[in-house]
Amino acid sequence: MDGLYHFFENNSIYVVLTISLIVWFGIFFYLKKLDKRLEKLNNSIKEVSNE
Amino acid sequence: MPIKSFSKLWSSIWKYFLFILMSFVIFAGISFPIVDVPKNWYEFPNIPGLGENAKIIFFHVSTAWISVIAFLMSTIFSIKFLRKKDLDDDVKAVTSAELGLVFCILATVTGAVWAKFAWGEFWSWDPRQSSIFALLLIYGALFALRSAIENDEKRAQLSSVYSIIAFVTVPFFVFIMPRIMKGLHPGSADDSTSGPVVNFKMNSNMYLIFMLTLVAFTLLYIWLWQLGVKSGKLKNKVLL
Repeated sequence: MDGLYHFFENNSIYVVLTISLIVWFGIFFYLKKLDKRLEKLNNSIKEVSNE
Repeated sequence: MPIKSFSKLWSSIWKYFLFILMSFVIFAGISFPIVDVPKNWYEFPNIPGLGENAKIIFFHVSTAWISVIAFLMSTIFSIKFLRKKDLDDDVKAVTSAELGLVFCILATVTGAVWAKFAWGEFWSWDPRQSSIFALLLIYGALFALRSAIENDEKRAQLSSVYSIIAFVTVPFFVFIMPRIMKGLHPGSADDSTSGPVVNFKMNSNMYLIFMLTLVAFTLLYIWLWQLGVKSGKLKNKVLL
């Protein structure tokens, strides 16, 4: 763990990289969840209008 | 395999492909080193006057690219709406215009941050900056127009006409004006003589990463557009 800390301390570009990747992962999984939620909503509206 | 379940599987697969591709281009775009003489596949060439700032090309140009694609798609669906009068086409057009505006703002902001370190000022009314500012005003006015009309049909019709007319200006402001006028931005008429600006010479590996970034951003745009269209259609279904 100490080695990793020193690596990031000496190579700050990798700190930027890690933060950017975390932001992208967050955005991706949020979009995926939103996608599923909209699909479910669409299906339930379809079911209601069919009834 | 039934066609329906295949299309469901495919709609998931390409999103995970985007996840991997975007992660890779972020990794490559940020961490691949810039060296004077690239010897390995993961090294980018040093561009005089820019150094590490050259890496902005991966993210800044991609956002500008997406705004042009989005404005084009908005125009296509506006034409489709005027021909068929289907409100779903209006949803598709306006979602694309929204995304175009968002990416246009991102291109402006990332460009301004880059300009501070390359030209010394956030904003210097360079032809490229002036033209993107004009585009922001033109497409901002589209949403002002939409918010002023209550009737759905009329709003869709007027905004479709406006969107088509607005797109006529895009090639001029993005591809023509900044290239025929003298300026600081790479690609201006006096590129080789002015300021710390560069003749952008990427090596083949840098060019490949750049192209992959464009693909990743285009896929991201498609996904965001699909989400916007889905929610817009649902809103229409519930309200109409």
